[in-house]
Amino acid sequence: MRETALRDAGRAGLAVVAAFLFYSLLGGLRPSVLVVFNAFSLVVVVFSIGRKEVFGAFLGAACGLIQDSFSLGIFGVAGLTKTLLGFWTGYVSQRLDVAPVSRNALFLMVMSTIELLLWALLNAFVLREQVDFRRGLLFLQPLVTALLGSLILQIVRRRQARRARA
Amino acid sequence: MPLWEKRKNFLLLGGLVVFHLVLISIQVPIGSDKKFLEKAVFFVFSPVQKAAVSGIRGLQAAWKDYFDLRGVRKENQDLKRELFFLGQEKRFLEDRLLGFRSEADLRASLAGFRDSLITARVIGSDAANYFRSVILDKGSLAGVQPDMAVCDRSGNLVGRTILPVSLNEAVVQLITDQDSSVSVSVITGEAGAGVVAILSGAKQAGYCTLKYILTTAQGGKENEELVTTGFDKIYPPGLRVGRIVSVKPTSTVFKSIVVRPNFSYATLDAVAVLPRVSGGKG
Repeated sequence: MRETALRDAGRAGLAVVAAFLFYSLLGGLRPSVLVVFNAFSLVVVVFSIGRKEVFGAFLGAACGLIQDSFSLGIFGVAGLTKTLLGFWTGYVSQRLDVAPVSRNALFLMVMSTIELLLWALLNAFVLREQVDFRRGLLFLQPLVTALLGSLILQIVRRRQARRARA
Repeated sequence: MPLWEKRKNFLLLGGLVVFHLVLISIQVPIGSDKKFLEKAVFFVFSPVQKAAVSGIRGLQAAWKDYFDLRGVRKENQDLKRELFFLGQEKRFLEDRLLGFRSEADLRASLAGFRDSLITARVIGSDAANYFRSVILDKGSLAGVQPDMAVCDRSGNLVGRTILPVSLNEAVVQLITDQDSSVSVSVITGEAGAGVVAILSGAKQAGYCTLKYILTTAQGGKENEELVTTGFDKIYPPGLRVGRIVSVKPTSTVFKSIVVRPNFSYATLDAVAVLPRVSGGKG
């Protein structure tokens, strides 16, 4: 039990570092892609499914604070929204069957959209300024997160099933 | 069963939410110093970012080197570097001339100007708030300090360095950030520098707004050029900033003026960090 938890934490740590490297490379080479792709959100939703809500909440807090520290916005806004994203993704996935691909993608898209809207609302409330949605392009972010997230989860499930058969 | 056992997960969530809310609330009003936690995370992760971007760029460069004629490439790089400095010097010279400085003053200003420039590359941008900040690959070890002006390849003003500045990385607040302020003057034509105003980032992403120009003022018309005045003690005088693209009347005594900055966010790559102006902060 303890071993599994440690292994999960180790994997999540590696995934956070991978997300950060991805974020850095895109930011340095193709900053415009960051509008539609948030690697931190992807890590949070993928790891929160199947690892329960507390794990998701702490992972979300870590990812959000890293994202905040490289942004001129308010430190803690992404931390808060990603904490909630991780918690509720883990919580709902334990109670509803979100394993089928289409349901999984829809679920991830709903959660990511709520996170994005909450982030925009918090920013607007604290900074007293309108969030730049980049002519609506920012709304593609939940879609990309959902598609990539469900794809990764399917690959992981297939690998696990193959291993179990072997 | 005690409440803690029954509602453990929700209590943990509540704790995390309260922690974040406290973190957010201590930063209001905006503009206070960076918090220790934010600085710590930046210091830990910025070298990773630099290593990742440098690694990829290194691989790209190695790939190119392998196929390119090395001599030609080296010569090209030298010429580009020379052109970069010449461009900076030319702009500096032109802008100083606009301010009717004497030739002796100009020579004195240019002496040592090249040596004091710090060239840097952009290695990151603000994913959550576009047009607000970028991250450079030079830090305090290269002589970068907070409140140093940053220009692009053509000598156009990009922004200024702000905290946190780590050993090998620095954050630049762009002039398109709504919280930035630059003292600028409007070049009204043959008469040289004219009306003085404050330039800040506009609500429209990628644009700036010019504040405090009276509706009765002569300056502040479409297509007029803006240069820094140096009154803010951060940006040296005479740096080109942008051009006025629209002027609208408002219900107040001031005009509503939108400015398009000269630098391009999309192609921002190599930049020059200028030495602090005398009498500046720090």
